[in-house]
Amino acid sequence: MFAEKACNLIKELSRNEGVLPPYNMDLVKEVCTEIKLLDEQNKSDGAAVANESGIANYSNELYPTLRVGVAAVKRNVRCLMAYHYNRLRTLRTMRWEFGSVLPPDVKANLNSNEIEWFSKYSRSLTKYMMSLGDEGLNLGVNLRPPKSLYIEVRCLVDYGKYELSDGTVLLLKKDSRHFLPRSECEELITQGVFQHIV
Amino acid sequence: MDDTLEIDNLAVSESEDELSLEQMIEVIEEAWLNEKFAPEILPHKTEIVELLLGQITHMEEQLQQVSSTDFKKGIHQMELDRLKYLVTSYLRMRLEKIETFFTLILKQEQQRTEKNEEPYLNPNEFEFAQEYEQSIKDHFESIMSFCPNVMDTEAQIISPNVNSMIILKSKKNIEGITVDDGNAENNDLIDLTSGSQILINYNSIASLLKNGDVHLI
Amino acid sequence: MDPDEVEFWAEKTPIQIIPSFNSQTMFLIGGDIGPFRASIPTRVPLWMAIHLKKQQQCKIIPPDWLDVEILTNVKEQEKDNKSFVKMPSEHYMVEAKLILGNAADDIPRVDEIRTIIKDIWDIRMSKLRSSMDLMIKNSSMYAAVDNLTLMEMNSIRPILPNALDQIYRMKTIKRGLTGRTQGTSILSHSKSTVSFNS
Repeated sequence: MFAEKACNLIKELSRNEGVLPPYNMDLVKEVCTEIKLLDEQNKSDGAAVANESGIANYSNELYPTLRVGVAAVKRNVRCLMAYHYNRLRTLRTMRWEFGSVLPPDVKANLNSNEIEWFSKYSRSLTKYMMSLGDEGLNLGVNLRPPKSLYIEVRCLVDYGKYELSDGTVLLLKKDSRHFLPRSECEELITQGVFQHIV
Repeated sequence: MDDTLEIDNLAVSESEDELSLEQMIEVIEEAWLNEKFAPEILPHKTEIVELLLGQITHMEEQLQQVSSTDFKKGIHQMELDRLKYLVTSYLRMRLEKIETFFTLILKQEQQRTEKNEEPYLNPNEFEFAQEYEQSIKDHFESIMSFCPNVMDTEAQIISPNVNSMIILKSKKNIEGITVDDGNAENNDLIDLTSGSQILINYNSIASLLKNGDVHLI
Repeated sequence: MDPDEVEFWAEKTPIQIIPSFNSQTMFLIGGDIGPFRASIPTRVPLWMAIHLKKQQQCKIIPPDWLDVEILTNVKEQEKDNKSFVKMPSEHYMVEAKLILGNAADDIPRVDEIRTIIKDIWDIRMSKLRSSMDLMIKNSSMYAAVDNLTLMEMNSIRPILPNALDQIYRMKTIKRGLTGRTQGTSILSHSKSTVSFNS
């Protein structure tokens, strides 16, 4: 059936909400091939169906085939766009979670266009944030309404040395606990280095 | 408790409609709620955001000279955290709308320029929106490069539902708001008194919101 | 809005405290606070009261309404009235939660107060559910929600607005169908060689 493969791209999206599985190059290529073949078919059918002034003649026996062909191309294109657009949206969310450097396991699942898009988006966003106030404003922190100045966190990985804004250097080891100013931990929490102990 | 900490606020120029700092915070608080619940992006409040950011920086600089053992430092820090959350969260909500509805928003901005109306985006947001649009276009073009003629140019533009239901609080007495209830003929008229709260669709009150006669909650 | 955000707004509410320290007026960006004189009541925002209380630098004077007799009275009124009664505070739920949670030692009859507030909330929630039901059955497109507090409005979001959005859509589609003359929409494929003309 037409557009069945394209539909599988959409199913892949909905199975993986919020995460990015490897870019499905094979399936995308197959959908592209289907679009190309259908488009060529449509063009030749269209030429047969059209009269001299380019208007379709309904009584032509190819007319229904042409309608189906056109609809199938549209559906394929829509699915293809939706697949790529929604991957960009997930990637966008990841820019807010991880900052401008993607974790290697995420990066490995992207195709080259997506990597390029990510760096463009990241650049625009940084430029925008730099335009705020006199010295720029990081919109990636202060994500939640503040509750208290200090919070207790547990370190989830062996992070190594970490310098606080007042110059104190902490050694962050896996499973170590710290009582720190909320503003100092926020980025490490979103990056998954710290876990907030409530 | 010692009183070594002497902290003041930057003098704010009188020209800015003579709003006090407290009033400026109120303006942004209201803008935050409006932006949170309005389906579309609203006119920007850049001047006030910038003044508040200047104030925040000024306070942060002064606090650096205060010993961390002074309990008052903690209170100033908490206030700063609250204000920073308010402002960053407000700006983030605007960016999210720009990213979701960029095509429509840029088109509407264009129409506003043509009609000599005030833009809703500030120049930096506008630049961001244009770059975002370009990056998406480029991305799609490279995907469809194998078959350049089949791009779906009639694809529907992603638009907010401006008929969505919102809750508002009226700031003054307003008479004769037409409720668009989805039926063409029998549109009810309602009156609001100052302080009253109603659930209504956004389209019926969008202009009142932009005038500042009501705010969303 | 999520509960943290509702709390953020409620924390602006002014409240009386009795400080246990002396200090000059503090020039906060949002306005001047103090001066503080030990054992002389002064007004501060709730977030500051909680912060000082946590450091044992003040006692919190509960608002007048945080009182068994007054709340019992409110509860009776709420029961007797079909519509929503005006609450003694715009953020009664959050204020009570924060004050009782952080300064239980400053308030007499804490457990009784907790129970009454929970009762009031439950009565109001049940009214809210039946009003929502009625609105949807009647397909009403507006409603006065005068005495509802922010937290209560939040409890009907997003379900009620979303349901009404769908009802609105159905109404307008119905309107569109009866107003439109018969005819199939034209499927044209933007750049292919033929155009359909019905």
